[in-house]
Amino acid sequence: MTPGQVLLFAVGGLANAAYLFIVAAGLSLVFGALRVINMAHGSLYMIAAFVTVVIGNQLGAGLGFWGGMLVAVAVAGAIGGVVEVLVLRRVYGREHLVQLLGTYAVSLIIAGAVRIVFGANYRTIVSPIPGHIDLGGYSYASYSLFMIAAAIAIGGGVWAMLYRTNLGRNIRAAVADPDLLNATGVNVTRLYTTVFVIGAALAGLGGSIVAPSQAVGSSIDTDVLVLAFAISVIGGLGSIVGSAVGALIVGMVISFGLVIPATNPFALAFVFIIMTAVLIVRPRGLFGLPES
Amino acid sequence: MLQVRGLNVRYDKSHVVFDFSVEVEDGKLLAVLGRNGAGKTTIIRGITGLLPGASGSVSVGGRDMSGWPAHRRTRGGLAYVPSGARCFQNLTVDENLEIASHATGGDRSWTKKRIWELFPKLESLKNNMAGGLSGGERQMLALGRALMGNPRVMLLDEPTEGLAPVLVQSIGTLLGTLKSTGVSILLAEQNHQVALRVADRAAFIEKGRIVEVLPAARARDSEVLHRILGV
Ligand SMILES: Nc1ncnc2c1ncn2[C@@H]1O[C@H](COP(=O)(O)OP(=O)(O)OP(=O)(O)O)[C@@H](O)[C@H]1O
Ligand SMILES: [Mg+2]
Repeated sequence: MTPGQVLLFAVGGLANAAYLFIVAAGLSLVFGALRVINMAHGSLYMIAAFVTVVIGNQLGAGLGFWGGMLVAVAVAGAIGGVVEVLVLRRVYGREHLVQLLGTYAVSLIIAGAVRIVFGANYRTIVSPIPGHIDLGGYSYASYSLFMIAAAIAIGGGVWAMLYRTNLGRNIRAAVADPDLLNATGVNVTRLYTTVFVIGAALAGLGGSIVAPSQAVGSSIDTDVLVLAFAISVIGGLGSIVGSAVGALIVGMVISFGLVIPATNPFALAFVFIIMTAVLIVRPRGLFGLPES
Repeated sequence: MLQVRGLNVRYDKSHVVFDFSVEVEDGKLLAVLGRNGAGKTTIIRGITGLLPGASGSVSVGGRDMSGWPAHRRTRGGLAYVPSGARCFQNLTVDENLEIASHATGGDRSWTKKRIWELFPKLESLKNNMAGGLSGGERQMLALGRALMGNPRVMLLDEPTEGLAPVLVQSIGTLLGTLKSTGVSILLAEQNHQVALRVADRAAFIEKGRIVEVLPAARARDSEVLHRILGV
């Protein structure tokens, strides 16, 4: 590989890492505060991708995308709120298996609904930021660079929310001791809904941002969920930094794995080999919270 | 004023607290004394609203809070200082106080500045994580956090447990000061000497029931103290 190719594939890896980070950060935030692994996280991502494509195309090429994104993130957040109130509240503090089954049931319901509403065909939307930048004989899609910048901005936003606002302080307190937080005068029930809505909105943001760069079909929920799990296992659930590092590793492995002929058929397998290795050496992931 | 009527607490099927009823007037302190496992912590947590298996009525300053969730009771002026100097370990000292400052029960006289004056040690540690503090420092922080809510009623669960005599002394002094500002205090203690020094009355608990309520002066060398606490 020439240095130019390495840069090309590295940027491709970063673009993968970008949307995967946004999705995994939501999953991780929800797990950190609520101690629930949300099996429906990929479903919220998928709904948002479909809504972005349909509304965006309706509103018109280019600028329509941004309108679609706005609606999509709102829809994902709103569905997240309903799911939290109707399902999650009943499973907090229960065994992990009950929680997994509960949120898995939600993912099946959403998958069915998506097939009914949007059909089984793949859909696409044109990039709102067309064009490319040429560098060293290779060209880089401007939209990929936008995705990378957006992920950095969103990561910074999540960090600022957690460490610079009262809401974030309350979320961190809930991670440590929800009972004490309740007795300190914070409505933890409402806080959990808020956290879940933020997590759902991040899933939606990921699905929306990825839509112009991939075909949107009714199996992208499990595709992204599996990768977000791998990222969370590698980086550690409950840590935003862990999500970022995990997403970088997974994004790069997929990008380089696919272009090297010898590894092409196994690119995804490498992700899970790394995941298994991390599980063996450090079960809670590189930056994960200890089990409580 | 704190009024508790007919508090019963169950953990799943086991009934732990039976018909607990007390009144603590403004500026008075009731010591709740009993051996390990008598039910002191369960009584306090039952009053806070944190236990789903609790029934009975609780009112603070004449306002009936029965059925209210814990966070509303706290905002209504009921502060809880759990045992073990529990703090948000992953938050700074400053954040541990800030997080309670929205709960304004009575007046708004308690500010961070006053907490720093009360516990100067805490101010020098304000940017440290609470998890890294000593037991005594965390107990000061737990008290400070409760005060930030400007409570009318405080429920304290063994606040002197494991503390050096000097700090036990100053917590006793603090409770005296709080009484003089009209706060009603319910203090669960194993250390009856400390408790009876600041208490007005003492309720003796055995197997989840009040067996006797005495004025503090008479409780000190009462038969029931010897019998129940084995001293
Ligand atoms: N979560 C729980 N589930 C079931 N039983 C409990 C629970 N917590 C306490 N108990 C039981 O309730 C009874 C009262 O316990 P509690 O902690 O209220 O006593 P205590 O007077 O505070 O004791 P100590 O002085 O040791 O703190 C004990 O028999 C205890 O075993
Ligand atoms: Mg106790």
